[in-house]
Amino acid sequence: MAEVTLKNIRKSFGAVEVIKGVDLEIERGEFVVFVGPSGCGKSTMLRMISGLESVTSGSIHIDGADVTHVAPSKRKLAMVFQSYALFPHLTVAENIGFGLMLNKVPKAEIDQRVRKVAQTLQLEALLDRTPRQLSGGQRQRVAIGRSIIRDPRVFLFDEPLSNLDAALRVQMRLEIARLHKELADVTMIYVTHDQVEAMTLADRIVVFNCGRIEQVGTPMELYHNPANTFVAGFIGAPAMNFIDGTVGDGGAIQVGDISLSPATPVIRRGPATVGIRPEHLSLVGSEEADFDARIELVEKLGAETLLYLNTPFSDKPLTARIDGSTAIGEGENVHLKVQPDSIHVFPV
Amino acid sequence: MAELATTSIPTSVPARFNPWPITIFTILCILAVLFLAPTIGVLLSSIKTTRAIALGDLWSWPDTFYLGNYVEVLSNPSVHRYFLNTLLVTVPATIASTALGVLAGYTFAKLPFRGSNMLFLLIVAGMFFPPQVILVPLFRLFNSVGLIDTLWPIGLVHTALGIPICTLLMRNFFATIPNALREAAILEGANEWQVLTRVALPLSLPALAVLATLQFTWIWNDFLWPLIFTQSDDMRTIMVGIVNLRGQYTVAWGVQGALSLIASLPTLLIFLFFQRYFIKGMTMGAVKG
Repeated sequence: MAEVTLKNIRKSFGAVEVIKGVDLEIERGEFVVFVGPSGCGKSTMLRMISGLESVTSGSIHIDGADVTHVAPSKRKLAMVFQSYALFPHLTVAENIGFGLMLNKVPKAEIDQRVRKVAQTLQLEALLDRTPRQLSGGQRQRVAIGRSIIRDPRVFLFDEPLSNLDAALRVQMRLEIARLHKELADVTMIYVTHDQVEAMTLADRIVVFNCGRIEQVGTPMELYHNPANTFVAGFIGAPAMNFIDGTVGDGGAIQVGDISLSPATPVIRRGPATVGIRPEHLSLVGSEEADFDARIELVEKLGAETLLYLNTPFSDKPLTARIDGSTAIGEGENVHLKVQPDSIHVFPV
Repeated sequence: MAELATTSIPTSVPARFNPWPITIFTILCILAVLFLAPTIGVLLSSIKTTRAIALGDLWSWPDTFYLGNYVEVLSNPSVHRYFLNTLLVTVPATIASTALGVLAGYTFAKLPFRGSNMLFLLIVAGMFFPPQVILVPLFRLFNSVGLIDTLWPIGLVHTALGIPICTLLMRNFFATIPNALREAAILEGANEWQVLTRVALPLSLPALAVLATLQFTWIWNDFLWPLIFTQSDDMRTIMVGIVNLRGQYTVAWGVQGALSLIASLPTLLIFLFFQRYFIKGMTMGAVKG
């Protein structure tokens, strides 16, 4: 049985419908990441699961029970907020034990459980401090500690790393991954707009767009087999190149004057959008090349270099990702080859 | 090393004269004198005999400190009664108006409902009613229910008149408390009362301190409502009592001055007690940053 089930969830604010019928099943212990652009409804969906936001129609089930109209505190879930939401007048220990204190758990037991959680999250030395005396990463760990002390069945994370600097974000991402391994039975639902977080943490990714689910799948499924141009453009950095083309009778794709032959011939004939990831374009000799291009801009990132290419068949420059050690400059003409097994074709 | 350090200091350029600090300081000094002058006048008259006040300059320093005015005031049973009456009005009315303001302010800030903004504006509009407009109707109302010449009308009116300012102040303060704190507390199992008492109120101590001090001072110093609603000397409050201490043919400046100073002590003590809560930045560290 699924741990969390969403059945035809809809949510309207006045006349504006922000969630337009979402169905999803999340298994016990699964780490599911909701991704999507700003305003796509992913945070609203999370808040509806938590009970902080009401549902206009549809139902939410946790562990088989319909919790659509159950109070947030009775849903056996915990939430980590983007802004940490620590109580500034309480110490770290009091923050972590806040829920237990409200539930009138004996003080000795609260102390013992707080120490255990603090040990797990390496917060033992900070228990007597107040939130203002902590760094961003420490505050986030306290927020996580406050959540795990109540042994929730479901963990909700609402963009928990977006306020941290890049280095700390990587560190906290690893800590959350470690936490997921330690709490193997706990289901985690994580909202982010950062696809790196989504790709690295998720068992499954749910891509939201305009209040609908575009695709659900493992990170690699979404990367290799995106359902549509939205998912294809959203997953992967730099984003996939899209070119207008036509699928011919033989299953080959005609893009401007050039012809691309995918490893598997395309069945659907007619106009199509061709998607090629930057990492699937490579510099080759003229005899092997699928097409030629002129380098408009070069971005050297160290291990890799991004080339922005002008081609006769695309108005927008194509992006190519090549090895960082390749010596190349702006204005040069280059020959490029597309990996035949990595060409995506989407119906127009 | 010390020599090296000394020689490395660059020659400083003489700073341009900035007239603003001295101008501001002078203006503040003048304002302070203007504010303190009446108090000093009262203090000086309270340590002089009535004869000395009548003969001499009010602002002159007395040759001898005369404490008879204080002795007379403190030994007067009526004054004890005035103090007790004022306390019986001020403390409950301060607590009641602040408590109601907290509840209303929290509702308006964190639990808005359809029409709540309009209701909030209506309540705040109550601040702009001049008391003279409602004076006669209130007198007739309390007279009809037999409460004239009791302390009840004073407490009730001050509680009611305090609600707008208390609601306004607390609503604005609660609005600055991040909603995520309330939501986090609710997810932890808190009900709305617990969110208010365990999270919102502890973070609102500065606002509560300001409000309690203001309300206490206003009610304690009020002259109008006790004058209207009370008639017998047993029901008078301290501010009306000060006026009652004047003689039949002459004004007892010294005694009135002594009682004025003694009467202002509770508000001063309240301020000193609450000023430690007049701190900012209580919500620092609650959210990002």
